[in-house]
Amino acid sequence: MWCVGVDAGSRTIKAVVWDRSKHEVAARGLVNQGIRQAELAAELVQRLLRELGAGPGDVARTVATGYGRTHVVHADQAVTEISCHARGVRHLHPDARMVIDIGGQDSKVIWLDPGGHVHDFVMNDRCAAGTGRFLEVVAARLETDLAGLGEQAARSTHPVAISSTCVVFAETEIIGLLSARTPPADLAAGIQRAIAARIGAMVGRRAVPPILFTGGVALVSGMAETLALTIGHVVELARDPQYTGALGAALIAADQAEEARARAGSRPRNDVPGGA
Amino acid sequence: MCEYTPRELILAAGGVPVCLCGGDAEMIPAAEEALPANLCPLIKSTFGYHLLRANPFLEMASLLVAETTCDGKKKMYEIMAEARPMVVLELPQRESDEAGLAHWEAELRRLGTELERRFGVPITTARLREAIKLMNRERGLRRRLAALMKADPPPLTGRELLDCKSLISGIPSDLEQYERTLAAWEGQPGRADLVGRVRVLLTGVPVVHGAEKVVDLAEEHGGLIVAMENCTGLKPILDDVDETAADPLRAIAEKYAHLPCSVMTPNSRRLDSLRRIVPEFGVECVVELVWQACLTYDVESQRVRRLVETELALPYLRIETDYSPSDAARIALRLEALYEMAQSRREHRP
Repeated sequence: MWCVGVDAGSRTIKAVVWDRSKHEVAARGLVNQGIRQAELAAELVQRLLRELGAGPGDVARTVATGYGRTHVVHADQAVTEISCHARGVRHLHPDARMVIDIGGQDSKVIWLDPGGHVHDFVMNDRCAAGTGRFLEVVAARLETDLAGLGEQAARSTHPVAISSTCVVFAETEIIGLLSARTPPADLAAGIQRAIAARIGAMVGRRAVPPILFTGGVALVSGMAETLALTIGHVVELARDPQYTGALGAALIAADQAEEARARAGSRPRNDVPGGA
Repeated sequence: MCEYTPRELILAAGGVPVCLCGGDAEMIPAAEEALPANLCPLIKSTFGYHLLRANPFLEMASLLVAETTCDGKKKMYEIMAEARPMVVLELPQRESDEAGLAHWEAELRRLGTELERRFGVPITTARLREAIKLMNRERGLRRRLAALMKADPPPLTGRELLDCKSLISGIPSDLEQYERTLAAWEGQPGRADLVGRVRVLLTGVPVVHGAEKVVDLAEEHGGLIVAMENCTGLKPILDDVDETAADPLRAIAEKYAHLPCSVMTPNSRRLDSLRRIVPEFGVECVVELVWQACLTYDVESQRVRRLVETELALPYLRIETDYSPSDAARIALRLEALYEMAQSRREHRP
């Protein structure tokens, strides 16, 4: 029996199929976001199930999360990405106390108590400057992609300080710096630092290690180290960082399916539909 | 425009006390021509109503009573006073201070004298006592209405309770309506559709009619506001005026001086209030609403957070917003995450 988690983010839709009996991820995948969110999510899930030789009828429960969670109409429930990232990270790293998630359009810091439950959170979903969007804009200017940006940043010897706080104005600033022959590597590293500074402001003096890094931006090489420099603590890359939200959603779906089963099992016999 | 205004004095002078706090976002653009944009939306909306002459009660008012509460209101009143008759009471802001209380009593006496002078009605001791009884009765009825929310589930939502509150104090037909509502709901089973909702205490700034955005969002996303520790909720009705006191005006001064707005310092009364309300109403999480640019509630929120998270061991969420609907989705997301935190604690409570 499977449980499915769907993370409908701003850039991509991720899905994880969780095997309840083997207690492991059976399949996972992603597609680019689009206008037909519900269909895209459904098609992704169906594709993953087909590869497992299964169909929608084999799914006990589906939980959707992310920006587009209410659009994933075939899900049984929507749960916030705060709870889902926490759950996903806790599964992969049971001693995690803090989660930094940087997605395409938002960033968040989640604090977990020693039991792994969400204790507090701070989100930036109003300004692109602390998000993947900033990296995308700069990568385009440097005529590369996110992976390429990370590689370039690694070669930097003198990261540039970007003075603009706004992504739109920062782009203009970068064009100016490029014309002035600033090494692209230094620009790439400068942007990573700018993003890290935004996250640092959200963390404040409340860093509690172990700190895990999730979200699509975690895949960009150098970001974890740059965050660690700003926060002053080691920042560990979560395993499969782009999928922690969807994984958490699938695990929460599994928890809920288990609770429903337990409740049904504890009902009096003549309450069970279809008889004993 | 404030719960510090002693309704009893106005009633004793034969007046009708009407609250003028503005909750309409559409009044704000006009206000921003004269006031800074970076100002509390409640102040801007109230001022907008004044500029646009859009509040019939304000237009009918014979006198405005204002207080030196927060800086924003204090300065806005100066401009409003250019066009409308106004008495400004100076509110001493040190909590539990004898000299301050004496000053406040003197200010109320001055208001009384002014009311007598303008309207030719002597504020006798008998009229004061009558007004005190009336307001105590009103506060008692509103407390009983608020207590309906202690039930799990209650017979009404937080929004519905908020809607019961009248803008005008001491109207006999309102009190009769409160009695009828209580007769209908007291002792009745709660609403089945409210079972399982996360029980929320809303604290912070007042939620004036028209600005119920956060109340609605809180109750549309799985929560139930079982108590409001704010000036449109429990704050002004928790204490009555002492009917047995020898000096009714002194008794009125005492009750009103105790109102724990964040302009008071150190405002420990508010923290004590929260400590009592949380267990009484079975609160599972606390949402603190701070209107943008409300410095006193904003700075005080740090102490409230510490009280809620550390002492009361409950999840806490601070929402800073204005009257605009544009951040509804962001607020909803945070409320949902808060409720998920509260629900997970239900499951893991020993």
